[in-house]
Amino acid sequence: MVKEIERVGIPVVHICTVTPISLTVGANRIVPAIAIPHPLGNPALSLEEEKAIRRRILTTALKALSTEVTDQTIFDN
Amino acid sequence: MKLELGYINIHDIQFSNESKIENGVLYVDKAAVEALVLEDEHIKTVEVDIARPGESVRITPVKDVIEPRVKVSGGGGMFPGVISKVDTVGSGRTHVLKGSAVVTTGKIVGFQEGIIDMTGVGAQYTPFSKTVNLVVNCDPVDGIAPHEHEHAVRMVGLKVAVYLGELARNLTPDEIKTYETCSIKEGFEKYPGLPRVAYVQMLQSQGLLHDTYVYGVDAKKIIPTLISPTETMDGAILSGNCVSACDKNPTYNHLNNPVVEDLFAQHGKTLNFVGMIITNENVYLADKERSSNWTAQLCEYLSLDGAIVSQEGFGNPDTDLIMNCKKIEAKGIHTVIITDEYAGRDGSSQSLADADPAADAVVTGGNANELITLPKLDKVIGSLLPIDKIAGGFDKNMLEDGSIMVELQAITGATSELGCNCLSAR
Repeated sequence: MVKEIERVGIPVVHICTVTPISLTVGANRIVPAIAIPHPLGNPALSLEEEKAIRRRILTTALKALSTEVTDQTIFDN
Repeated sequence: MKLELGYINIHDIQFSNESKIENGVLYVDKAAVEALVLEDEHIKTVEVDIARPGESVRITPVKDVIEPRVKVSGGGGMFPGVISKVDTVGSGRTHVLKGSAVVTTGKIVGFQEGIIDMTGVGAQYTPFSKTVNLVVNCDPVDGIAPHEHEHAVRMVGLKVAVYLGELARNLTPDEIKTYETCSIKEGFEKYPGLPRVAYVQMLQSQGLLHDTYVYGVDAKKIIPTLISPTETMDGAILSGNCVSACDKNPTYNHLNNPVVEDLFAQHGKTLNFVGMIITNENVYLADKERSSNWTAQLCEYLSLDGAIVSQEGFGNPDTDLIMNCKKIEAKGIHTVIITDEYAGRDGSSQSLADADPAADAVVTGGNANELITLPKLDKVIGSLLPIDKIAGGFDKNMLEDGSIMVELQAITGATSELGCNCLSAR
């Protein structure tokens, strides 16, 4: 899906846990998620802490979206 | 470590008023087994049944399959840390009720439990159509949480297997097989010219009912470590999967690991079987990185020339597999991986979710997406109700004539990544 959307000229950020697979399949902007069963949250944390995690991931993704890349890039923070 | 496996060949199971083994027949006191099962406060109902090879019987949803064994000498008991005390096992003598198995079924826990057909086309796809099975069909008390349900059924299967195994304690085996490992130093001295090969077993540890236990420890909490291959024959590793049928390892497969068997068969002849490393398949990327780093490091410490890596399951564990392969190869150690494939029903899609040029020696258990039609059978032990919900099933897969269409992934043990089944392109 990432590649098909990019093919029509819209940049895509792939938020995913297993970033090596994202690299293998050819995503260009990759943002690491938390874990496979709960990519955007963590049931071990409080709701407030989870909200902070989600905000951080989303902010990173928006930053990635507006960053020019010349190669496959993982945005770590 | 030296372990003798004494095979007591079982060719039939029959109900009787006394549990015993005579002339290859396992007689089972049904009431005693049911009472044993109902000791667990989480179990409400139980029915015990027998399924023999060739009978028109379908068992589903299958949770675990266990081979009855008893530890006769050498310290410790079967399933250490879970059923027996946590003593080290893997030496002395263990008796095996060869040809028989305990199969647990009942109300579905997860969505990935399997099917065992004792006859017809489905029987060709599962190794457990060839064993005489004592089937324990039990349902839990109302309102139980899924993880408690899984735990209760897991314990039931192990307890029944241990109860049956105990019947063979004082019998004379029909056949005795001996497995002996040597220390690192002995190995260097005895087999200086042979390639040093170890087995890396990846254990399912994704959680959410995809679990494995090592001496009672949840495998997602281990870091990669060494274990003697003979320990696995005494139940040091057991399944906590609500068996995702085709390629999760039921406890039976851990007890009878063909990779271990074949490496022992070649030990001292074509190679030096140095030992066994166990690692996990966790759902955090950092865990995947840490465990694969550690596994490669252990391979290097052991001065290996070659490693055989088996995967359990599919999907994100494909990444663990490829990480292990890449990192072990990078140490200059030849690596073979054993996996299975999800290549689509026509077999034309990419087989694994991850790939790397270092994975240049691959053994496959087959394509789990392959579609097959199972005929209607006379008797069902368990329930056909979840047949469209289990992995490999789909909406309206029960046809009008009572036959069932499923992908191979619904069949217990069909694409075993330990080589327990025998799918072949020949």
